[in-house]
Amino acid sequence: MSDPAVQASHLGKAFGTRQVLDDLSFEVAPGDVIGVLGKNGAGKTTLLELMLGFTPPTAGTVSVFGQASQQLSAGNKARVGFVPQQDELIDQLSVADQLKVIASFYPHWDGEFIDRLCGEWGVNPAARIKSLSVGERQKLSILLAFGHRPELLVLDEPVASLDPMARRQFLEQLVEASMDGNSSVIFSSHIVSDIERLANRIWILKDARLAWQGDLDSLKECVVRLHIRGGAETLEAMAISGELSRRRDGDFMTVVVRDFTPAMQADLRGRHGVDVEVESLGLEEIFLELHR
Amino acid sequence: MFILNPQSGIPIYRQLLEQVRRMVASGQLAPGAELPSVRELALKHAVNPMTVSKAYSLLEAEGLLERNRGRPMTVASRVRNTSQLSRRIEQIQPLVEQTVLAAKQLELSETELVKTVRKNWEDEDE
Amino acid sequence: MRAIARLVYSYFTSTPLTRALSVGGLVLCAASLLVLTSLPQSEHMLAVAYAGLLAFFLGSAFMPLMVGKLSRGHAARLLPHGRVKLLVSMMLTVALVALPAGLLTPFAYVAGVSGKWSDLQRNPQLLDFTINLGWVIFTSSCILAGWLYLAMYFITSQRNVAGFAKGLLVVVIIIVVPTREVNDLSATTSSNLLKLAVAWLVFGGLYLVWPRLKGAMANWRIPGLPFFGASSRTSGREVDLILGTANPWVYIAAQVVPVFIATFTGLASAAIWLYFLAIMSAVTGAVSGQAAERSRALWLRSGWSRAELFAQVEKSFWRHNSFMLGVLLLLMVGMGSYSGFPTSLLAAGLPLLILGTVLSTYLGLMITRGLGWTESLLGISIMLALMAVPLLLQAQNPNLVLVAAIEFKLLLLSLVLRIWARRRWTHIDWTQCRPSRVASARNA
Repeated sequence: MSDPAVQASHLGKAFGTRQVLDDLSFEVAPGDVIGVLGKNGAGKTTLLELMLGFTPPTAGTVSVFGQASQQLSAGNKARVGFVPQQDELIDQLSVADQLKVIASFYPHWDGEFIDRLCGEWGVNPAARIKSLSVGERQKLSILLAFGHRPELLVLDEPVASLDPMARRQFLEQLVEASMDGNSSVIFSSHIVSDIERLANRIWILKDARLAWQGDLDSLKECVVRLHIRGGAETLEAMAISGELSRRRDGDFMTVVVRDFTPAMQADLRGRHGVDVEVESLGLEEIFLELHR
Repeated sequence: MFILNPQSGIPIYRQLLEQVRRMVASGQLAPGAELPSVRELALKHAVNPMTVSKAYSLLEAEGLLERNRGRPMTVASRVRNTSQLSRRIEQIQPLVEQTVLAAKQLELSETELVKTVRKNWEDEDE
Repeated sequence: MRAIARLVYSYFTSTPLTRALSVGGLVLCAASLLVLTSLPQSEHMLAVAYAGLLAFFLGSAFMPLMVGKLSRGHAARLLPHGRVKLLVSMMLTVALVALPAGLLTPFAYVAGVSGKWSDLQRNPQLLDFTINLGWVIFTSSCILAGWLYLAMYFITSQRNVAGFAKGLLVVVIIIVVPTREVNDLSATTSSNLLKLAVAWLVFGGLYLVWPRLKGAMANWRIPGLPFFGASSRTSGREVDLILGTANPWVYIAAQVVPVFIATFTGLASAAIWLYFLAIMSAVTGAVSGQAAERSRALWLRSGWSRAELFAQVEKSFWRHNSFMLGVLLLLMVGMGSYSGFPTSLLAAGLPLLILGTVLSTYLGLMITRGLGWTESLLGISIMLALMAVPLLLQAQNPNLVLVAAIEFKLLLLSLVLRIWARRRWTHIDWTQCRPSRVASARNA
């Protein structure tokens, strides 16, 4: 496998006594699109900031393109794009001026591409940033991160304020960006449906750790809801490995498990003599079940 | 051409797999027919292109699709017959399971269900 | 390089207004240069030159704000060579702004001394002198510009009174320290260069290292003390908490410190001291400028009508201001007896402080539709009147009748403003409270 875009080993971050992130180890391969999910305050923003070296870790290491995040060279900085949660635009400038200022820092800036996107996304280059609506500001923040065609794109809730059409346009752009198979995208979002479309890997942050890090496809195949029918006492007494939650009503029970394999279905049927149906869950439901 | 539901519990690549298989088996996609390119499909449905690639690669490995240099994937001209039957049975399996489940819930016996199926089959032939 | 050039260009052309100021300022400077070489020096020409310099400086007044925004955000960390380029752009801007002053001075001097540029060529000593003078003025202007930009930063970047007070503090330091030296003509090019080098090394060093420092500091913990950046809790009534008037001690501290500095750096003149106090008393009222925006939460949660709301808000501000006013009055009396102020000064000064607070409080309360022209003009006139009194009192035999007349008129004005503010509050429309909201509502 070619060198990972981002690599972390036993990464941890504490603010005073509060341990926000604990013992995270992960790798981001080129071409990965990673969706980061977590409750508010779970540490998504902190994780993204640690990754790019905005804040030093209190434990472990993290590196981007093989270089420690805290010591990123200018060359590597030009390969990274970041969209922060709160926009950092300069209100006094016009959209075009803001773009030109940021563009001037990068050796390769695709002006035509950005001009085209401004047109498609409805961002007026002559407008004063002070007069833009929240959605337009967010679009501009995204454009500022796209212009230098970064190989690693990190986005922190990039579409929270965009309407569905704008979100779709943004997703299409991400699809285009990931076509070459070389660019990696890491984005955190509450809009689970967007992540479901685009991500191939999912990280779920819970209790300062990665409760899940793996393929989205595997996640959907592993976390399922079993509909079990059998005698009430049998159901009550059943012990199922990897069980997340269960709900029983008479002789009918639903159980959500986190490590399902097809063999499990046959096993349960055989061992307890019950009827087992498997229901696959969407990402939002999986998230809710993992947090129960 | 395809209906993809990203919010479903079934992974997107699998949805695509099943739909292509069904369409080839039913003849909707004739041998030699061109499938949309990865880029086209990914953009149209706003999904990760790797998902589409994965489905296409698996279908190619099954022998259902053929890769052509510089052109989009096409349905294989010679579909291997031996694997066809089990694949087709696999296709209909979920529907059969649903029907059996419904029949049990309605407290129909197996014989009654088979009789209904036979009747339907004969009606269709007419 | 491209980035630095682009940054500097943006500092001078950020808004159409600053662009006009920058260009206009340069034009005026160029014009005065032309005139100085052909006509003998006159006060008018110098005025044009000063106006040009001031305009040019104001054209880049947003530079500190822009640099601050870029530095505080993630941009400075992720842009290649971000902080270094920003730092260089700052230094370049300071040099650019000081350049016209340095260039103009030799010409002004020559025009003033002999009136003929050709004289210079005949007199090499004069030539050397004027060139050296140009360098001295250039480097002094660099120092001055640096301080002014710092003041600009505090004034433009903070949105609350504490920040504004910090800005005023820096203005005090500027007025006292560097201008004193320029007036004393004790500055030389080499001493200036040394000061510049030290100042920029320290500032530049801190600026470049700041992110690492902040990261390291965030991990410190001094046992027993609250966390770095944690704000202290104050108890107070709900009204006070929402309006921001719960804790007057911060504001008192922010105002008392500059006063002490001004006193102990030798500004013995009672009137200048009073001048500062008058300005500070106006700051107390600036807090009330935010009352309209914040009162929406109050109105929604209580059963008050708008008129009742105004009465409650007014009461809250008087509770807050009475502390500060009390401290200021005590200071006035205390420092007055310590420095031996004449009684007429105290007699005129104490009411002035009260008037300053009252006027600015009600002016602030009047800001229910964003800061418009009416409020700005009123604010400026009030400030001018407040400053006029100490200046009048500075004379040998101050015209106390005039002073009393002015103060009486200010008293009447405060009554008028109160009525005006109350009337506005009965029609308050919270969607119009902030100019930014009005603009985005129009664009939505």
